[in-house]
Amino acid sequence: MARANNNGKHKGMSYTRYGYIFIAPFVIAYCIFSLYPLLTTFWYSTANMQSTTAAFWGFKNYEVYYDRYLDLTQYYSDNFEQEVGIKKAEYVKIRNFFSALEKADQYDPLNEAGVNAIIQNGANALISQSTIDELQQALNNQDMGCLSDKGASELKAWRDQYSDISLIISSKVATVATTVTNIANPETSDDEEAEETEAVTAETIINADSYDEFVASLTSEELTTEQQALINYLASKTSYATLTEYFNAVKNGEAAVEDPLFFYICTNLNKPNAVKADGTAVEPISVPFIRTAEEYLAANVWADMITSLNSYEKLSGYADGSIGLHEDEETLYADLEALHNAGIINIVQLKINGSDVSVSTDQKSEVNALTIYRTFIDTAYEANEVELNSAVQIAKITTYCEDQGRTLLVALGIPVDKYISYNGKFDVDKYLQFKQEIGLKDFLTYDKYKELDQARKDANVAAAQKKLEEAEAALPAAQAAYDALGKEDLTSKEYNALRKLELQITKAETTIKQPAGILEKVDARYVYIFNGITNYAEIFANKTRFNTVAGAFWNTALMWIIGFIPQILLALLLSAWFTDTKLHLKGLSVMKALMYLPNVITAVTIAIFFRRLFSYSSGGTLTASQQILHALGMEQGYNFFASAWATRLIVCFINFWMWYGNTMIVLIAGITSISESLYESAQIDGANSFQTYTKITMPLLRPIILYTLVTSLIGGLQMYDIPQNINVNPALVNFNGTMIKSIRTILIYINNQAFGKQDVKQVGIAAATSVLLFVVTSVLSILIFYIMRDKDAAKARKALKKGGTR
Amino acid sequence: MSANEPKLKSKSASIRAYSILVYVVVIFFSILAIIPFWFMFMNATWDTISIQRGIKLWPNPNAFKQLAINWNNLKERSTFSFAVGFKNSFIISISSTALTVYFSALTAYGLTVYNFKGRKTIFALIVGVMMVPTAVNITGFYRMMSSMGLLGSKWPLILPAIAAPSTVFFIKQYLETSLSMEIVEASRIDGAGEFYTFNRICLPIMIPSLATQGIFSFLGSWNNFFAPSILLSKNEDKTLPLMVAQLYGDRYTDYGMIYMGLSASVLPIVVVYAFLQRYIISGVAAGGVKE
Repeated sequence: MARANNNGKHKGMSYTRYGYIFIAPFVIAYCIFSLYPLLTTFWYSTANMQSTTAAFWGFKNYEVYYDRYLDLTQYYSDNFEQEVGIKKAEYVKIRNFFSALEKADQYDPLNEAGVNAIIQNGANALISQSTIDELQQALNNQDMGCLSDKGASELKAWRDQYSDISLIISSKVATVATTVTNIANPETSDDEEAEETEAVTAETIINADSYDEFVASLTSEELTTEQQALINYLASKTSYATLTEYFNAVKNGEAAVEDPLFFYICTNLNKPNAVKADGTAVEPISVPFIRTAEEYLAANVWADMITSLNSYEKLSGYADGSIGLHEDEETLYADLEALHNAGIINIVQLKINGSDVSVSTDQKSEVNALTIYRTFIDTAYEANEVELNSAVQIAKITTYCEDQGRTLLVALGIPVDKYISYNGKFDVDKYLQFKQEIGLKDFLTYDKYKELDQARKDANVAAAQKKLEEAEAALPAAQAAYDALGKEDLTSKEYNALRKLELQITKAETTIKQPAGILEKVDARYVYIFNGITNYAEIFANKTRFNTVAGAFWNTALMWIIGFIPQILLALLLSAWFTDTKLHLKGLSVMKALMYLPNVITAVTIAIFFRRLFSYSSGGTLTASQQILHALGMEQGYNFFASAWATRLIVCFINFWMWYGNTMIVLIAGITSISESLYESAQIDGANSFQTYTKITMPLLRPIILYTLVTSLIGGLQMYDIPQNINVNPALVNFNGTMIKSIRTILIYINNQAFGKQDVKQVGIAAATSVLLFVVTSVLSILIFYIMRDKDAAKARKALKKGGTR
Repeated sequence: MSANEPKLKSKSASIRAYSILVYVVVIFFSILAIIPFWFMFMNATWDTISIQRGIKLWPNPNAFKQLAINWNNLKERSTFSFAVGFKNSFIISISSTALTVYFSALTAYGLTVYNFKGRKTIFALIVGVMMVPTAVNITGFYRMMSSMGLLGSKWPLILPAIAAPSTVFFIKQYLETSLSMEIVEASRIDGAGEFYTFNRICLPIMIPSLATQGIFSFLGSWNNFFAPSILLSKNEDKTLPLMVAQLYGDRYTDYGMIYMGLSASVLPIVVVYAFLQRYIISGVAAGGVKE
């Protein structure tokens, strides 16, 4: 007996080690998939990871990565051969390859539907059966190389002969559609985050009492002498020959976006018509420039206008031929005209080159797509779909075949098409074969790129050193000259000279500390450089950055609170009703199930639905929300997404709507778990329902409310799906002098910084923001626990004390 | 006594008036909860031009024909493939749910049955990490996955499911009330190994709790958007929520088709919910009370 007992005990002891085995998978998985990434996130927040790396983005072949994204001809324009070590012509083959690849993506010469349309349309006087067969073969092999010279020239001849205006118009509309989409959806552009690149460089202006007022005053016609002087100073400082140059400098981070000059230029551009009186465009300003300028201005005038166009959503349909141009033609014409008049699309500039399409002379003299389209409408042309598709595809194929990059390579006898994938994917192995064929595979290696980068850095440091010495030598004289004035005069020439030298010194010092090489833009190395709290310092000390991050936190908190308050109140009310025995509600479980339903549906679906619901169209057909408001008496409805607050409230409403059912069920469960005897004794004591609720239910419900509050807070701070999907072009609001997007939450910000489309990815900043989110969540959770628990604990302590003294 | 009667009568009348008010409010919110989905489903049966003419809250007389047209239009889009999205979402959700349920049960069992050293600390830590926002480690997680070459793969979305602190917590709560040590002891006396006891004897006991947690895990994984949106970039890898997010992205918008896509993504959940709503709601309720 005793032995058995002993045995059992011994066995029982040995069982405990199974506990470790049973929890091991959890612990290991948690450490690998949560703890390690969390720690590395903390680690990255202390790293100089501004330019992140190919390794970070999962590129394995750095060399290919550089080949693709780094254009050496841009950086070594003068002595290419001497500095890089190969003939420029040899290197250009690589660029031509990528240009051909790009064109293949852009024109999609082997588009199945298009090529089939050509085949279906069949051979005719200009296109022989052999060419049709070649196209069929090309489609089957996914290789344009089998298109013979004869075939290519036939297609070209056909295109040149084909004077059908529908072809011209659809190609014009294609351009219009691309431009228009780019303007309307700035998110798809690469400079999404440009608004927070550099802080203001002209400190004189930051230090002015109100920078905002100053910028705002720039739009008025009268500038004070001081402002004019500052603008002149900035203009002299920038020394860019054209606005495009200046803009590019802004984009590359060499000039500050918040320069008043920039705003000045943008403001002047933001006029209804950017076309000069004689009909020519304001030359140096390209549409992308205006687009980006427009973004900075945050006016959103154009984007709104474009999205409200009646045919906006059909433009690409018109362009690719899926919608006949004769459908709804007057609307399209009116829209094109409106775009043209607004200076958004310069249709005059979308000129029809003689080489592009041959058109009759009088049409050419107009050089105006609008006029041509007018003619098109008036002649009431009914396009044959197959014919039109065939025409569009022939135009695409010929444009691709005539591409400079490709023809040059073909002329050299390199079968470039063999190495290109036409399905939009980049095939690394095929590319490496190509590189082998042109003989650059062993030369342009990763090591070579590193070498070039280092050489460039050394050169930059040397140059900066020289500049620094010069500026330092000139500084005393400038200082003396300014002091000689004997008064503070910020507009004086002497002050400007002094400021210029000071800025030169700062710039040179920065360059020496962090010299620019050639790989920054497309940096593929993974180099961890510890920089301590620099990322945090950047977030807190850089005014623009701080406002943006704080704005994201503010947005998140605001949207959570505005959604949570009605959510908890309604849940309290409904749970009180549902548990009220006097009411005897019927169909309770059905109603509960219905109210919980929104919570299980994919948030993205709900966001897209509400986006559809609240979208706005300025004329013609009304969208859903407009129809409802129209029925209620508002003629044109209300453009919700144009207003920052309306957009926020929509997000809040969705959060409220998705979550009150959940909260309600939790509260009902809490109320039903309260002992029935408490209510019975309350009833005997003559308490009414309100008293019972406030004196019994509420206090006992406190832990449940705490639970709801904490889980909702943790979820709310991670708000992402709905604001991210509700509207791609949210309104902008002003937050402490920085423009922020009205519904950008912390996670959206982190995502944009680390995984956005901008050239320089701010992984360090993103990680630091993540850490801040972690800290804020922890602090708030603990705080809520403390506030809510404290009373109970204090009471318990009091009760204990009383008990003790008795 | 007689003085009490009219008082009672007026009281019951006021209760009736009160309950009518309550019904009106409750029914209003019930309708509010489903009207968007009704709206989606009805609009999916119409064509763009009809939708533009007026809001549709009733089905198209030719609903099936138009549904087929909208469905075909949806299928022709390059950025939205319901089949691919559904397949990816399904694989990810099913695998991660299986992992979550099994390993959480294992962990909860280990924490309940065995009195090993540090048990309390580990449990406290698990409760603690429930509070950590899951999204904060995304930069680290992305870097780790990219260096392992797992971007675009389903593993980063499946494997982390092994460690689900809140599921462990809830299953442990359940085990404490419903698993008696006698069963474990009896099994041991019969000579069963520890894993046999867990898999064959205790796991079936846990089924009600596992089912509830499984449903929530599945829904969470099915509806997940943040991590997949960062980790998956190719169209053929994308899950259904990512596909839905692209519905609006294109320039040419066919309203009927958009509503068709939204409905298609909602319908499976609504159907599953219709069958499982009782378990789901009791699961939500249990989550709150036991905390």
